[in-house]
Amino acid sequence: MNHPPRRISLEDWDQRYAELVDAGLHEPAYGGPLRRHAESGDRRLTRLQLDNSAAALQLWNFLLTEEQRLRQAREVGWQILGTVKDLGTIPVMAYALRRVVAFYPDGAWWLPCLMEDQTRVLQTADSLGIDDSFCPVRAMLGAFANQAHFPLPDLLTCSVGATCDDVSALAQRLERMGHPILWWEVPHRRQPEPGEPAIPLPGGFHAPACQVALVQAELTRVRDALQAWSGQPLGDRQLRAGIGAANRVRKLLGELRWLGYTSEPCPLPALEMLVAEMLAIHFCSDQPESIHVLEQLLAEVRARVTAGLGVLPKHAVRVFWVNPVADLRVMNLLEDVGGRICGTEYLFCHALDLIPEDLPPLEALARCALADPMVGPPQDRSQRICREIRRFGAQAVVISRIPGASHCGLEGLVIADMVRDRLGIPVIEIEVPPITDALEPSLRTRLEALIELQKR
Amino acid sequence: MNTILYASPLVPVEWLAAHGVRPIWWRACDPRRIDAADCDVDRRGEPGSLLRGRRGVCPLAAAVVDSAARASASAVVLTTTCDQMRYAASWLQYQRRLPTFLMNVPSTWETETARSLYLAELERLSRLLVALGGTRPSNEALAEVMRDFDGARARLLGIRDRLLGRDLAAALITVRETAAPNEWPSVADSVPSSDCRPHHDLRQGGPLRLAMVGGPLSESDYGLFDWIEQAGGRIVLDATEWGERTLPRVFSAESTRRDPLSELADAYFGTIPDVFRRPNHMLYEYLSRELSARHVHGLILRRYLWCDLWHAEVAVLKACSPVPVLDLDASDSEASSSERTRGRIEAFLEMLP
Repeated sequence: MNHPPRRISLEDWDQRYAELVDAGLHEPAYGGPLRRHAESGDRRLTRLQLDNSAAALQLWNFLLTEEQRLRQAREVGWQILGTVKDLGTIPVMAYALRRVVAFYPDGAWWLPCLMEDQTRVLQTADSLGIDDSFCPVRAMLGAFANQAHFPLPDLLTCSVGATCDDVSALAQRLERMGHPILWWEVPHRRQPEPGEPAIPLPGGFHAPACQVALVQAELTRVRDALQAWSGQPLGDRQLRAGIGAANRVRKLLGELRWLGYTSEPCPLPALEMLVAEMLAIHFCSDQPESIHVLEQLLAEVRARVTAGLGVLPKHAVRVFWVNPVADLRVMNLLEDVGGRICGTEYLFCHALDLIPEDLPPLEALARCALADPMVGPPQDRSQRICREIRRFGAQAVVISRIPGASHCGLEGLVIADMVRDRLGIPVIEIEVPPITDALEPSLRTRLEALIELQKR
Repeated sequence: MNTILYASPLVPVEWLAAHGVRPIWWRACDPRRIDAADCDVDRRGEPGSLLRGRRGVCPLAAAVVDSAARASASAVVLTTTCDQMRYAASWLQYQRRLPTFLMNVPSTWETETARSLYLAELERLSRLLVALGGTRPSNEALAEVMRDFDGARARLLGIRDRLLGRDLAAALITVRETAAPNEWPSVADSVPSSDCRPHHDLRQGGPLRLAMVGGPLSESDYGLFDWIEQAGGRIVLDATEWGERTLPRVFSAESTRRDPLSELADAYFGTIPDVFRRPNHMLYEYLSRELSARHVHGLILRRYLWCDLWHAEVAVLKACSPVPVLDLDASDSEASSSERTRGRIEAFLEMLP
């Protein structure tokens, strides 16, 4: 940690990378200067402020080489599983298999941002009748159609039921385009009725035992299909190992989030924290490496916290962020106006909760699937958000609406009302499209207003 | 008698009626009209939490919330068949002004797990109805109610070709509330007379035969039928969400006698083709069969803005349909678009081969 931590531009990273190499930087095979990603299409990097650590370099390189990793997997004969609308359940099962890699096709929603729309996946989606009244995840449809990004998976799974209509509708289109889908049901999580057996879920929710049993039956069906597809057994022994590995990721993220969101000054920028959290969903197509990347990042953060160093001025206003942003630049923007992230609910908080290891594996995974904040009512999600706000000591909340998303029309009202009612802290709602450049002045003004309000 | 407000064809009216409650189908004024008197209020009873017109909120879901919150019914029953309605139910539960039952209707339908969930939800609904003062029906009582409604639907479908579009649409709602035939418009009143026959017959052989598919049509949308008829068309298949498409199949007499609840579940959950189902090929099989059987000349898809489920199917319908398709989206401001809609309908009919 010869350089004090700070956020630097991609231009600055050119110099920084050279210095790190001169100092004997040891990189994995996917390593290299960040500049090359921008030159090969990820142009948004040129507009971002990035953490200057070697650990952050590795994180970005890991993230931005996923397509390459998937192609390499295909070349060496590994099977590829696409897990649509699945925030951290089926990938845990898939990574318990050998020579199988699972990825999250919905993740294509960041392509229009990262590539500043040069990829034309949104235009392709438009041409298929999926316009911008849909969530930006419509980029997934474009990516399947133009086949210029990830290799086509050998098998697709998709959870439906209590899921957003956008993804459900898009997945149906995928199937009609010739990509068979194994659909599995997740029911809307409801409160157990009086006298009805209730099961505790990770994250503090409860569900009726019958709902847990139902999801377990669905996961058994998926497990059977994965066994047949891969030609490998996927019994309790393998699943336990898979859960153990997933929990390793979740434990690392647990400590990283605690240090990242509570330490003063802020030890790691919001952007890198967001990318790190996303690894929980599908491990960026390489579970062992995702563990290594997180270990490096955590080591860096620990060192910074011990040294009392951070990337932002002390006493930045502590903001809790709800929903992931389609444009990564907005995470920079919050910090530019004097805020910092102190707690997040990026729609996959259940993928950060530890999976119970003292239960039959499929029951444990069923409980996790039902703990998905989007599966239940927004009241549940709001309660969890309130709890997390208290835990991290946030002073204000930003609800970042995803344009066109079927759940964003109404849930923001409940979350904002409950946060104001219970905690009495300010809440603003903003909407973040894949590229915010044209909206940046108004977004900046709204964020500034929130920050100024708390600084008084 | 307790009244239960509901708005989903996947909730069997027989199940509600057999419990001795009065099923009332949701009705409202134009779901796209923003009227201060209809404004929702927040949990503290203060006006302001207006859902209608809020970006991203389905106008129908917002209208259901607004009117359900003011309804005098004992409870409202909504379903998970679309995400917007699922969130609308949560909003009503959060407001706590009317008991709201959100029935889990699985999207998958080809597995025993899905069927068992649907049955379990009917049982859970039964517990609510009993708690509200209803009576759990015996098999015999349920079977009798099923036969009544089956008969009512058969009678209605028997005269459907003789009803005006708006009268058939209204009767298709009524038959989701009561099996009493005197609740329907009489055929004598409804058969298109010389006065109300299409004003602009484009063909000497009679009006153009059209089908309509898509999301729900509320009463305020029935003007569409009038415009179509005035433009020289006639809806011979109302396959919108609250139309003929979502009626259950005819009950098997033997299954009804043996296990009426199971037969009820099979007739509704097992056979109603809808856009939310995964996979949804049953919908296309239904359309293919019915468009052909009814010699349809053109298909109108009517959907609400922000309805992803129908919107995503527009391109597929256009590609699969054997006849031309007109895509009509209904926004929040119908007042400004109604003439546009009418013009598009007229142009569509003019260009039909």
